[in-house]
Amino acid sequence: MKYRISSGMRAMVRHLQWVLPTALAVTTTAVSLQASATPIFARQTGQNCQACHVGGQFPELTPYGRMFKLTGYTLGQRTKLPLAVMAVFTGTEQKNVGAAPPNSAFSFNTASLFAGGKITDNIGFLAQYTYNSPSTGTGPFIGPFSGQAGSDNTDFRYANRIVNDSTDLIYGVTFNNNPSVEDVWNSSPAWGYGYVPGSTNGAGPGFLAPILDGGLAQQAVGAGAYVYWNKTIYAEISGYRTGNGVFSFLTQPQNPPGASQTYIAGTNPYLRLALTHDWGDSNAMVGYTYFDVNQYENGSSGLTDEYRDNMVDFQYQYILDPNTVTVEVSDINETVNYGSAGSVSDTNSLFRAKASYTYEAKYGGSLAFFSGTNSLNNYGPSMFGNGTSGWTPEIFWIPVQNVRIGYQYTFYNSVGALDLTGTPNYYDTAQTLPITKPGDYNTSFLYVWAAF
Amino acid sequence: MKKLMTVVVLGGVALVAGCSDIQSSRDLANPNLSGKQLAEQVCSFCHGAQGNSIDAQFPRLAGQQPQYLTEQLKAFRSHGRSDPKATQYMWGIARSLTDNQIAELASYYYGQIPTHGAPTNTTLVAEGDKIFHNGIPATNVPPCFACHGADGHGHDNFPRIASQHANYIIKQLHVIKYTDERPQAAIMKGVAHGLDDEQIRAVATYLSGQS
Ligand code: HEC
Ligand code: HEC
Repeated sequence: MKYRISSGMRAMVRHLQWVLPTALAVTTTAVSLQASATPIFARQTGQNCQACHVGGQFPELTPYGRMFKLTGYTLGQRTKLPLAVMAVFTGTEQKNVGAAPPNSAFSFNTASLFAGGKITDNIGFLAQYTYNSPSTGTGPFIGPFSGQAGSDNTDFRYANRIVNDSTDLIYGVTFNNNPSVEDVWNSSPAWGYGYVPGSTNGAGPGFLAPILDGGLAQQAVGAGAYVYWNKTIYAEISGYRTGNGVFSFLTQPQNPPGASQTYIAGTNPYLRLALTHDWGDSNAMVGYTYFDVNQYENGSSGLTDEYRDNMVDFQYQYILDPNTVTVEVSDINETVNYGSAGSVSDTNSLFRAKASYTYEAKYGGSLAFFSGTNSLNNYGPSMFGNGTSGWTPEIFWIPVQNVRIGYQYTFYNSVGALDLTGTPNYYDTAQTLPITKPGDYNTSFLYVWAAF
Repeated sequence: MKKLMTVVVLGGVALVAGCSDIQSSRDLANPNLSGKQLAEQVCSFCHGAQGNSIDAQFPRLAGQQPQYLTEQLKAFRSHGRSDPKATQYMWGIARSLTDNQIAELASYYYGQIPTHGAPTNTTLVAEGDKIFHNGIPATNVPPCFACHGADGHGHDNFPRIASQHANYIIKQLHVIKYTDERPQAAIMKGVAHGLDDEQIRAVATYLSGQS
């Protein structure tokens, strides 16, 4: 234990040489730009980021932020230039990478261009286009970055709100390219922890995540209808299909380059139900999501595998100046029925929990836990465990409202036997690597995240 | 599944075609929106239905004095009230409101029935009650009722403070005591100066439970 921490500290000190000057440069730029350029929605409403993001901790939404999204991003006044940019600089170091160099890397990680906001009184959108830097990546499981721009999360909405002395009904339709990106709670996969681009949290190495956890992000497009009644019950029904043909602009080009489009058969149902309650300075949500997808095993025809996902999630927020506390928990259980005759089904599950605290919307910290398991029925016996689990403590600082600087350290309790494509990984097969225990994957991660 | 998609798409088209009108607009730059509509469509997100917010970050507006409310909205619009939360939340909301919309908002909120809290700390409530009715002679704090009315309901530009969230009152008394971010509250500065943190908490707790 002691060794792990000191290794993390050493890595941190090494990174600080790079990060501090960069952070200062970014901060200075941010301060000088602030008057003229803040992200789209802040300009549209004239408000500070923390009106919508809990303790300034983007992308976690406050109750007001959720209402803003559910009413179709239409509150406020139309801006002249509905664009914003986001950039992320990161430094990553894995404790022991075995034979796979390079390890420590500080890179300009991603840059995104956002377009969005109010179009009419009832229609609005948020679209993201992302460039990933051509860095070589740092560990076998972070994956090579591509050096290419591609379509990212996009959500178009029409919404209406009927409100009077006795009723408050919001209803609308969404058209998007990532199952759950339309969701307004941060326990949902698209907005759950692991949101800092390039961070290792989420699934981690050696583990195959359920398809609901980003498996169809920018692969599928979906349309859905939702209602939110008396700030109590939220219900949504959506259908997703392959994002090809006229919808290619929401999925192409694929990132990383060379990756092929995932094809799903027909229209696949996504259902979401959430119960919410506000009291005092707190609010909570208990939710359920069902997603049933038929994906082609190869290309766009032939046999399909069925992925049936059930997710239960929970969120709690306490917001009272100068403190905020947020807790998010999600548990996804997936059954995979393979198309090939005679194959046994598999199960994949992913549990995540995270709690964070912020003070004066400037300083914050969080602790996250994740645990994923795969049944491995179709992968043969494995000498390694069938799951990945670990902890990520994080501290962060928000010097100005649109810049966040943070440090995470991920401790792995266990690392499973599958790589991210579902084939047994190098850890399993290449016994020449001196990676001998889960702790070898422990990772230091530093980031500077800015949006203007 | 094809059917599901068809239903969803057709439903969507029907919704879009059916109800795209100004009735549900949340456009803060459209002078044609009435005060009531703004209150229901926009302000209610934070200040609650009928101005009875749940969360103490957001002051209750129900029953607030129209003259006071008008002055505050104009002060947000002109940046005359500049405490941090006013800047972060209300400057943007108020930036394009017209005088007419402000007047309508003020009369809408004055017409709503305020709800109030039920503080449980009886010692604090009793101490607050004393401060409200007698002031604190030792530090020259006049009784609050002298300006805010016998029941704390306010009049003219003296705000209603009864039924307000305790945490909001505490925050504002600190703003008034330590900063000049609310210049219109200069008359309150001497009052706030004579109150220590414990007394502020007491009077705020007492007021939050008054109707
Ligand atoms: C995003 C949340 C939000 C929205 C939406 C919002 N407000 Fe506010 N409002 C606040 C906050 C926070 C404060 C407290 C400011 C402070 O502490 O100085 C406030 C304060 C006020 C005050 C001062 C109250 C007092 O007792 O001094 C008035 C008046 C007001 N708002 C009116 C409105 C009106 C009218 C609307 C709609 C047009 C509106 N607000 C919409 C967050 C909001
Ligand atoms: C001399 C008259 C006077 C006295 C006495 C007085 N107030 Fe005030 N108070 C005012 C005025 C005027 C304002 C409104 C200032 C403004 O327009 O910004 C105000 C504002 C306030 C506010 C802010 C309300 C809001 O909604 O933001 C609070 C809280 C408050 N007073 C509490 C008290 C308390 C508690 C006492 C007794 C200890 C007290 N006041 C005594 C005149 C007075």
